[in-house]
Amino acid sequence: MKEKHIIEVIDNVSLASLSKLELDEVRGHARECDPCGAAFEAAQLSAFVIKERAHVKIEPSPFFHTRVLAAVREQRTVESAPAFLRLWSSARALVSSMAVATIALAVLTFVFPEPTTALPEQTASIDVAEMAIFDQGDEQLNYEQVLSAIYEDEDEAR
Amino acid sequence: MARRHPDEGPHLESGIEQTLDLDLARQAQEGDESAFAEIVRRFSPRVFSVASRFFRERSQVEDAAQETFLKAYTQLGSFEGRGSMEGWLTRIATNTCLNMLRGSKRRPELTVSDLSDDETGWMDQQLSEAASERSFENNVVAADLADRLLGTLSPEDQQTLLMIDGENASIKEVAEATGWSESKVKVRAFRARRKVRETMEKLLSYRGKQVSK
Repeated sequence: MKEKHIIEVIDNVSLASLSKLELDEVRGHARECDPCGAAFEAAQLSAFVIKERAHVKIEPSPFFHTRVLAAVREQRTVESAPAFLRLWSSARALVSSMAVATIALAVLTFVFPEPTTALPEQTASIDVAEMAIFDQGDEQLNYEQVLSAIYEDEDEAR
Repeated sequence: MARRHPDEGPHLESGIEQTLDLDLARQAQEGDESAFAEIVRRFSPRVFSVASRFFRERSQVEDAAQETFLKAYTQLGSFEGRGSMEGWLTRIATNTCLNMLRGSKRRPELTVSDLSDDETGWMDQQLSEAASERSFENNVVAADLADRLLGTLSPEDQQTLLMIDGENASIKEVAEATGWSESKVKVRAFRARRKVRETMEKLLSYRGKQVSK
């Protein structure tokens, strides 16, 4: 192993599974070969931190089985309820909010009809002004004539 | 009285245990709550141990363990008593934890700037000591560092490396716990070990340069 690089060996098996002889050979090579030395050092530290991580175990609390049994009971209750009730319990909020929105729209549409504004009158005066301009045919109107045509129509409308 | 063969003991015990497990499973399936409570009491240490491989926070471990027992409750009919209930629950717990982790983000690369002061301090301490004299103290920091290194791997690779290198499990044991083939486990272990070793090598090399400055 002294001539052969050890990187493949240390990636292939866990360091803990190497025999003492194999480990001595790896160490021997690592001392003489810089890249393998760096790799071996990193492998050793990695193996150590992973061992430490594996030792971290969380124990169940004394109330854990009570919590699980409560969850099982809840699951059984949900499963025993009729399908429509299960669907209703999950969709209740959505259906209620949709119903409220529909009622609100209906009230806004039928109880408060859209107010009539002065817009058609304004539109009419604009139309008249356009007509005054375009009905002149080829004859070009000056600025004062256009203004008087507009205000005459507005006065008539009043 | 027939003489018992020396090897018969453990087999006989495991046979009795499997029959007991099957009885408990049947009773729980028929609605006997105390039978299921007994299953939870007996196997929650094992399920917690599996979940602790994947999660560090108690709340996460408890959620994973509860999910495991809920799944087990709904699948009690599929437990036929061919293997042990512990093995059956281990597999459910492993798959549950893997599913929970699949949605989480993983960090493809780890750099020194991602490490805490304690972690870089721990690495500097290791670098300043000769390999044969390392005391490997401050194990909480080491476990935190391991979490960061493992965070660069897929949940499946993390699980494989923790079992083989951390818990000295055999390839076969990992294959049984996960349902993967042995060759898949070997490939995962190799890939995970190499990735972790390369990341550690980069971190050490960077810290080595910093320390020597």
